[in-house]
Amino acid sequence: MPAHEQSNPWAPLTPSQLEQRKIVSVNPETVSHTAATDIPGHWGPAQDDSWNLSRFRDSLKVDFHHNKPHDAAFSLVGVDASIANAFRRILLAEIPTLAIEDVFVFDNTSIIQDEVLAHRLGLIPLTGGQEGLKWLKWFRKPPPKDDFAAQAAWEAEEGEDSAASVPSDYNTIVLTLNVTCRWATKAEDGRDGKALAKDGESDPNVRYVNSNVYAKDLVFEPQGQQEKYFNEEEGNQIRPVNPDILIAKLRPGQRIHVRCHCIKGIGADHAKFSPVATASYRLLPQINITQPILGADAKKFARCFPKGVIGLEPSPDNDSDELQAVVKDPMKDTVSRECLRHAEFKDKVKLGRVRDHFIFSVESTGQFGSSELMLDSVRLLRAKAERFNRHLTELEEGR
Amino acid sequence: MIIPIRCFSCGKASAYTSALTLRLSNYCAQVIADLYEKYVELIGTPIDEDGNTMPDGEAMDQLGLNRYCCRRMMLTHVDLIEKLLRYNPAERDIVKTSGGNR
Ligand SMILES: [Zn+2]
Repeated sequence: MPAHEQSNPWAPLTPSQLEQRKIVSVNPETVSHTAATDIPGHWGPAQDDSWNLSRFRDSLKVDFHHNKPHDAAFSLVGVDASIANAFRRILLAEIPTLAIEDVFVFDNTSIIQDEVLAHRLGLIPLTGGQEGLKWLKWFRKPPPKDDFAAQAAWEAEEGEDSAASVPSDYNTIVLTLNVTCRWATKAEDGRDGKALAKDGESDPNVRYVNSNVYAKDLVFEPQGQQEKYFNEEEGNQIRPVNPDILIAKLRPGQRIHVRCHCIKGIGADHAKFSPVATASYRLLPQINITQPILGADAKKFARCFPKGVIGLEPSPDNDSDELQAVVKDPMKDTVSRECLRHAEFKDKVKLGRVRDHFIFSVESTGQFGSSELMLDSVRLLRAKAERFNRHLTELEEGR
Repeated sequence: MIIPIRCFSCGKASAYTSALTLRLSNYCAQVIADLYEKYVELIGTPIDEDGNTMPDGEAMDQLGLNRYCCRRMMLTHVDLIEKLLRYNPAERDIVKTSGGNR
């Protein structure tokens, strides 16, 4: 395979060699050919590996397997691992989302402590009008009062954008939660909780009212222009994605009264701002059957893989009615390497993964659609590249 | 103490919706904290006349908890808040008069 084994050591790679260098070999105990070799100069001067827009455009492919708002899976083919990984990391940590950041506690007599309650509130995924969420500006959080060094640094650069550190309708969403638990009464609920309790009723939902505090109890209070962007009649109000999230449990006499300020943030700052539950990719598995596997062996071979990966078909160049193992759907494979543990298959099959075929799986938390998030990550990477380019130009010009 | 809002590892908030989850709630997205009550209901309700209940694994499948990180959130949770909620002065008189059966 290496170039020097050919008659002409510096000839460009043949199509089969080009195919071969895309494969990461998965061996019984090791993984080899892990590094990409499509680098200019690696295969000699005749092999043109320089980056070329039209070639990139031809080889790039995006193919959706399923696309639901909360779960998307697609194949991204024809990019380097560094680019695919950049998209993944931007998805996890750099796309801005809205989450509860400050909680002002007026009353909390529940058995969930203030700080635990605030943390739980922060983790609730929120959603609302897409246009409004894009319209929201950043809120620059002032440093804590007892951190004097940070305070001094803050005051030094305060002049820049002092409006960004004042809560306003541009940068802060207000949600309130006011729930009091009480005994169910005949007058208000049509059942006497205390009497039922004496009779041995143990279900808290029957005995009390508001014994469970849910995310749907959060009330959105639009400020200023937010009325327009997060209109309740148009279904654009800020609300939890999952209304049934259990925030706390109460007993009669206990009350939670808090006001929450939600701001825009990124996942690198706190995981609650991450727009995805998971964003991950795996390389497309490749199963290469080098010698025919027939009959009972074929059945055993198929059992080495998840269902649907290997199919059994009548063999074309064999007169007997023995079935032959064929690769049906390598995408379903988990690359468990089980087949390599059996002596009879050892030399008949080669496992690998396609280096530039990324099977992405993006699971949104609900604020934005999963496929929309992927596009956002592309836009963000582009903006970062442009910024870097600008800095380089400035450096060159000596500014 | 109380069921965490999200999965510790993946922050799961959304899930595959099976027919049953649709019946339980009209919402497609689910967070750990809103799945727990459904999970307890599923594994606690008899599904046949012999009084057999649904196995844990099947219940988690129906709730769309596919990854093992999310599954352990359900499996290993001990809902201690139920015990702590009993220490409430407002309930004391009821417990006394009913003979302390709770
Ligand atoms: Zn998880």
